[in-house]
Amino acid sequence: MTETQVPLASTPCPAGLDDCPVQAENDHLQHECHRLLKQLQIDPLTNWYNVSYLFSALEQEMERSRRTGIATGLIMIDLDHFKQINDTFGHEAGNQVLGWVCRLWREKLRRIDIACRYGGEEFAVILPSTRLGHSIRTAERLRAIVESSPVPIGGQSIHITASFGVDVCSPLEQITANEFVQRADQFLLQAKSLGRNQVAHPARKPSREPTEISSAERAMLFVGRWPKME
Amino acid sequence: MGTSSTRLEHDPVMLCLSSGKGGVGKTSLAVNLAVALVELGQKVLIVDGDLGLANVDILLGIEVQTTIRDILDNDSDPLTAVVSWEPNLGVLPSSSGVPEMVNLGPEDQVLLEEVLRSIARHFDYVIMDTAAGIGPSVLWFNSFVEHNLVVLAPDPTSLTDAYALIKVLARDYKRQRFHLLLNLVTDEKESLQTYNGLAKVAAKFLNLQLHYLGSVPRDPAVHKAIHHQNPFVRQFPQSRAAKAVQELAKRLVDLGHAGTS
Repeated sequence: MTETQVPLASTPCPAGLDDCPVQAENDHLQHECHRLLKQLQIDPLTNWYNVSYLFSALEQEMERSRRTGIATGLIMIDLDHFKQINDTFGHEAGNQVLGWVCRLWREKLRRIDIACRYGGEEFAVILPSTRLGHSIRTAERLRAIVESSPVPIGGQSIHITASFGVDVCSPLEQITANEFVQRADQFLLQAKSLGRNQVAHPARKPSREPTEISSAERAMLFVGRWPKME
Repeated sequence: MGTSSTRLEHDPVMLCLSSGKGGVGKTSLAVNLAVALVELGQKVLIVDGDLGLANVDILLGIEVQTTIRDILDNDSDPLTAVVSWEPNLGVLPSSSGVPEMVNLGPEDQVLLEEVLRSIARHFDYVIMDTAAGIGPSVLWFNSFVEHNLVVLAPDPTSLTDAYALIKVLARDYKRQRFHLLLNLVTDEKESLQTYNGLAKVAAKFLNLQLHYLGSVPRDPAVHKAIHHQNPFVRQFPQSRAAKAVQELAKRLVDLGHAGTS
């Protein structure tokens, strides 16, 4: 989860009663609503947002991009050879690894980044208002930190790595959140097929379309007709 | 300090002065062309689109009271952002926030265009003086005016940069009608020679016909007038440069709304 849970402040009774039963019931219902909302949005194992929150938040950020003109970044992550951890150390240890890695990564993300568990050992991080270059650097930072931080499990240190697929949705693209996730997921597959423990992403484009003048244009601009220079 | 206007609103002729390369006297030409147009009876607005240098502000020694952001946020009268330099010459200084807003998102750009058009309706001619180069603000200003005026000096870098600007505007912004304005030329022969060189390349590679607006000679009067902080068409109206600009202003009046791309 992106923020620590803060108890909801109790609102004072409008009639000014110190021991108002209606107000107490109201406070209780508010807390209950908050708890249920959290349950709907948060994956309890990792404390990251769940997959349904991922899609609603992603739709919102893509819409924001269309308004602000700044791209939305998306990182898809998969822990490498996670099945081996489960098989060797048991599912409880596997769960501990997931929780541990998510805490580690959360510290490396900005407060505005939206970290979600996509399912199993796969994760998605939405990077609001973030261009491709910065999105790639963020993924690379997450890759490096997990590679260099052995997970302490049952008195042992387990070395784990992860693969990353990065993509951005530009403000002009009319695609759905689902299509965007699929696209970033293709880069994740590419990272895995290239040997894992790496970041795959679309080719970096120059910040604007190349405007170079071809050699033929240049030659014609200058050849034989240039007036006397001062 | 708003520019008052009692005349009926109408569509002004909107021009953009850009150069690709800096240092070709673009801002000086924009100001002097504006003054020459005023002397031909036109009501003119200069929009300073160069936040980096804020030349027009300095040249005219003006300070802004209302910014474009104030207009959008508080529904202020758009004309209050215009500084009246003289009765028929308004300036929308860069400190009003115009070029800054161009670099914001598409939604702000739409709002900015609406504000600019609402201000422009009170004038006959609007001259947008952009920054050098082909940055986002330069392209944006060029994308919605009627006439794209490209200023260049007769030297290889200016020629190359002018061509690059035209190429981007034609290819990415579908601009079709460019007017070349040669500055700092020795004589008309040199000016035409430079124009012809560029026009041939544009015709062959971009399938574009470039129009020749005219030239302004290199003239010591220009430099002297800058020291007097007065446009050279006012300070030295009989100078070669002033006469050339007066001729260009007449051509702009003839051009009017015709030939919109």
